Amino acid sequence: MNTLVAHVKEIKSVENLNIVKFDFEGVTLSMMSLELPESVKVGAKVKLGTKATHIAIAKGFSGEVSYSNQLHVKIIHVDNGELLSSIKLQAESTSLESIITRDSSDRMNLHVDDEVTAFIKANELSIVEVL
Amino acid sequence: MIHIAINKKLHGASADMQLDVNFEIKDGDFVALSGKSGSGKTTLLRILAGLEEANGIIHVEEEIWLDNNICKAVQKREIGFVFQDYALFDNMSVLQNLLYVKKDLVLANHLLHVTELTELKDRSPSTLSGGQKQRVALCRAMMKRPKILLLDEPLSALDPVMRSKLQNEIIALHKEFKTTTIMVSHDPSEIYRLSNRVLVLEDGKIINDGSTKDVLLRTKGSQKFSFEGELLEIKKVDVIFIAIIAIGQQLVEVVVGEDETKNLNIGDVVNVSTKAFSPTITQ
Repeated sequence: MNTLVAHVKEIKSVENLNIVKFDFEGVTLSMMSLELPESVKVGAKVKLGTKATHIAIAKGFSGEVSYSNQLHVKIIHVDNGELLSSIKLQAESTSLESIITRDSSDRMNLHVDDEVTAFIKANELSIVEVL
Repeated sequence: MIHIAINKKLHGASADMQLDVNFEIKDGDFVALSGKSGSGKTTLLRILAGLEEANGIIHVEEEIWLDNNICKAVQKREIGFVFQDYALFDNMSVLQNLLYVKKDLVLANHLLHVTELTELKDRSPSTLSGGQKQRVALCRAMMKRPKILLLDEPLSALDPVMRSKLQNEIIALHKEFKTTTIMVSHDPSEIYRLSNRVLVLEDGKIINDGSTKDVLLRTKGSQKFSFEGELLEIKKVDVIFIAIIAIGQQLVEVVVGEDETKNLNIGDVVNVSTKAFSPTITQ
């Protein structure tokens, strides 16, 4: 699982549903969640997690997209399998992995050092641990 | 308000242990007592009922049931008790079993009505099914209008359909009589449906005490869908890894990253979790 260390910036709640905003090295991330542990409050340092299969990649992206989390990243490694590709990304000081189809990797012509955008939906980000 | 502070040395299966608890229960609460066998749950119920001696205090509202000088006799404690086995009198009819506790025909008929036993009231308990017998035992426990109802795994011997029916009847009775209830149970769905508070006992001590939802939703961070299982195998497929995990009687597959596989060993007990947003439900 990919992990990112971030700080809780804001928590909005309706009954037991929450949208939590985090500061990840200057970038704002959003997470959808049901009940939160009490230790998750504004200012708390947390380890966020998302699976490699939950990270989408866009190259030369323009326009609007509903993904709440958009990180400008650089490709540091491409491992093309027969059907799937593992793309390693550098996001600020953190490295992330994205699993996409080999077809997408070929179609987008992804290479090391490409500057791309990583997309993560708010419901696919979770708090692994409060630090 | 009920205040219970008990201390008693128990001779456990593997080692002696100290039952040492101190807690309060609000009037009308439905408390589930959970924990491994041998953790002291049934002993605690028996001490409350006055069936076993112990040091400590039991205060029920303004009454003292137990302290240094007083130990109220079983029959003087206003308690209803339902065990796993029914302990009904076979030589009496269902109705007579209830009236034996208290000659209150109106209450007896009402309880039989709530638990849908009216048509069986003249039968002998020996002719009834397990579920029916347990409903009679429940009615009988309510005949004294007890201050505390103690249920010791009352439904564990019943099949799932009968279990669910009796759970509904226990809910209906609790709603109407608001009897403070303490139930020993191992079944999370039963605990969730019936209780509003859970006490978890381990080696005679309370190790967890909270609202039913907080105690039962054993989750870490913001993951809501969480199960414990045994890791059976990890195989590499293309550029990904697939972990095979046994959860109860079911095998599941989870896609994991290469870095995760480094910390996992076959045979490990692992937690499989995902957010509440991801699973789908079908019938």
